[in-house]
Amino acid sequence: MSEIRVEQLTKTFGALRAVDDVSFTFPSGQVTCLLGPSGCGKTTLMRIIAGLETQTMGAVYFGNQDVSRLSPSKRNVGMVFQYPVVYRGISVYRNIELPLQSMKLSKAERTRRVEDAIQLLGLSASANLDVSKLDNGTRQKVSVAREVARQPQFILFDEPITNVDAASKLQLKRSLKELTRSLSQTIVYVTHDQTEAMTLADQIALMEEGKIVQCAPPRELYNHPYDRFGGWFLGNPGMVFFDATLSGGGNRRTLVSPLFPLPIAVDGAAPAGSDITIGIRPEHIHVSTGPLPGGVPARLARKTVQIGGQYLVALDVDGLGDQGFKAKVAPTAGERLPSSGQVHVALPLDEVSLFDSHGIRIAASLHPADASIIV
Amino acid sequence: MRNPALESDPPILLLENISKAYRGREILTDLSFSAKAGNLTVVYGPPAAGKSVLVRVLTGLEQPDSGRIILRGQDLTHEAPAERNIGYVPQSFALYPHLSVRANISYPLDLAHVPASETRDVVATAAAMLKIEEHLDKKPDQLSGGQKQRVAIARGIAKRTDFFVLDDPLAGLDFKLREQLVDDLRALNSATGASILYVTSDVIEAMTLADELAVLAAGKVIEHGSPETLYREPRNLGTMALVGFPPANFLRGSLERRGDETWCATELFTFAADVPSNAPPSDVIVGFRPERIHLSHRTGNQDGANGRTLQFPATIVLREDLGGEDIVYLAASGESLTLVDRDHYLGDDLDQQATVSIYPHELALFDVTSGERIGSGLHVSAIDYQSTEIQQPIVQSYQPRTTDVV
Repeated sequence: MSEIRVEQLTKTFGALRAVDDVSFTFPSGQVTCLLGPSGCGKTTLMRIIAGLETQTMGAVYFGNQDVSRLSPSKRNVGMVFQYPVVYRGISVYRNIELPLQSMKLSKAERTRRVEDAIQLLGLSASANLDVSKLDNGTRQKVSVAREVARQPQFILFDEPITNVDAASKLQLKRSLKELTRSLSQTIVYVTHDQTEAMTLADQIALMEEGKIVQCAPPRELYNHPYDRFGGWFLGNPGMVFFDATLSGGGNRRTLVSPLFPLPIAVDGAAPAGSDITIGIRPEHIHVSTGPLPGGVPARLARKTVQIGGQYLVALDVDGLGDQGFKAKVAPTAGERLPSSGQVHVALPLDEVSLFDSHGIRIAASLHPADASIIV
Repeated sequence: MRNPALESDPPILLLENISKAYRGREILTDLSFSAKAGNLTVVYGPPAAGKSVLVRVLTGLEQPDSGRIILRGQDLTHEAPAERNIGYVPQSFALYPHLSVRANISYPLDLAHVPASETRDVVATAAAMLKIEEHLDKKPDQLSGGQKQRVAIARGIAKRTDFFVLDDPLAGLDFKLREQLVDDLRALNSATGASILYVTSDVIEAMTLADELAVLAAGKVIEHGSPETLYREPRNLGTMALVGFPPANFLRGSLERRGDETWCATELFTFAADVPSNAPPSDVIVGFRPERIHLSHRTGNQDGANGRTLQFPATIVLREDLGGEDIVYLAASGESLTLVDRDHYLGDDLDQQATVSIYPHELALFDVTSGERIGSGLHVSAIDYQSTEIQQPIVQSYQPRTTDVV
């Protein structure tokens, strides 16, 4: 069992830098999800680790071994692809057993590994069925079980759920969740689906334009994105942003925004410039028909029902210009809101993030300014 | 069925009793509905509900076997597609690879010999609305999937008309991109004031876009109204099943008379039902929304919300984290249930036991045969759930059943 380390890894396709100078360690025995929009380089990075793609520059280490020049078959890596890879016309059991036959294992060891994998993926009921008779989700479980039985040091998953029919998605997700818990291997899991990443990962490595922007456990990534991209990309919808200005100097700065009735004191690392962005998750914005402490009046332009009966509410606040924004409101609270008209909004200060002019999150704490600080 | 066609304003589109069969198989069956002028009307339905055929009939690519299509007050049922003056955005963005983006957008106008100056204006407006101005001189293969789809939409709207049909134009695009395009389409509707008929199989997209929503199932519009009304007060089992994500939970139940009251027994709980007093004892379907059930992790706690909720034990199958909320999949007495939770309870584990509770008035009752809504659970204020006599059937739900397969 060991970690996967990439150092200054770059892959170019013509003018495109698909992977751009990435140095990163996939910790031993953990599930790391590579998450990002299409074209961010996540699949290319994984293919370089597997040896299916050759890096333009940089190196790949498995533990202390430099595997940069090894062929895929010499790397002892398991891979599960978007589409299940199964041998039709033979049973689930034989599908899992087949690769083991070239591994010089005793018959008893082979049987044990196949049976363990079948157990782990919940395939007992279909072990003797021809894989041609199975749905896509179960076939994908067979692909996973085959890799598990080989016991490679690492297993790489490339969007394994994306092309599975909706009906068997839940079962496959649950199986993967169970699997990732019980396996001791280092797992790299590529997906564009944030829910999958948030649900399965020990940590998410968020990618944008060939770089890993941030790596953190799912909730930490969600609550404390490194930059605006992370705030926007995660969440449904993502974080909402407002331009704002910091005044004052040193450690005692004041934030004035039409979103707050009174100036807000900002403690902590002060950014170089004074132009900043306020960010908040839409589900953290309070919306009410009556006045709210620390809130301001707002116009509700439209409300729609979303996931789980929550309401997505389109809002405008005087002084924000054309920066309309959205809040996500709990079902019972949303029902009480008018379909349009005057409401009140409040941004709880401990849920507000600040980003500097480069879009990088500023470590700062916000609290209502007392009169002595207001300049 | 709610039918705005019966209301005062004349609709821009009225479909009357449209039927269409292929090789003896009915795809559209006596379908009727209407769209109000200036509205964004969404026709939403699961795959194979008849959406594509509806679009083909509406745009004139197919003739209905029977029924009428009235657009702008005129019967267009037998008019050629070109005579209908409908702006049409098809599902797949077939752009001409050898033409520039600009030429792709203006193609229909060029065919119609629209003067060059007018074409310039229309293309510029469409490109600005869809934020593709800087790509006008590029070829389609230089664009991303989302940009190509914007070009296709721009070509559809670059038409002097007051009525557009958009056939699932965001299918297959990234979820972040769809989020953006949904906003753009709403803005487009407000900016032009044109009527849009939007066809989709994505329910969140449907509920986000629609002024009015028509639910299509098995070739019929089963219900039509504002998305919020359809979500909160579905009159039809199909509507409750189709409108909303994650899908609603359903249990089989049976009604029985107990003195003056009607009670409903399900595999998980028994409750007093608010149904017409003449409702005969019968089988029903009990539906409830995933956000109306609540988890308590103190198993065996029979108190709930001061004894007024129905409670039952369940096992956690999987908790999915969507960021803003979690979807929790549960197994309870052989039933699969879904719950939406805004509190990210991190202690949940696979196969953990929990107690689930729901207020009886959150339960909707549907006739098992017709699918019509017949009532709901009785509001807790209307009945003394704490009295021992009545509490009996609720307490029963704590008892492990022999049928438990969790």
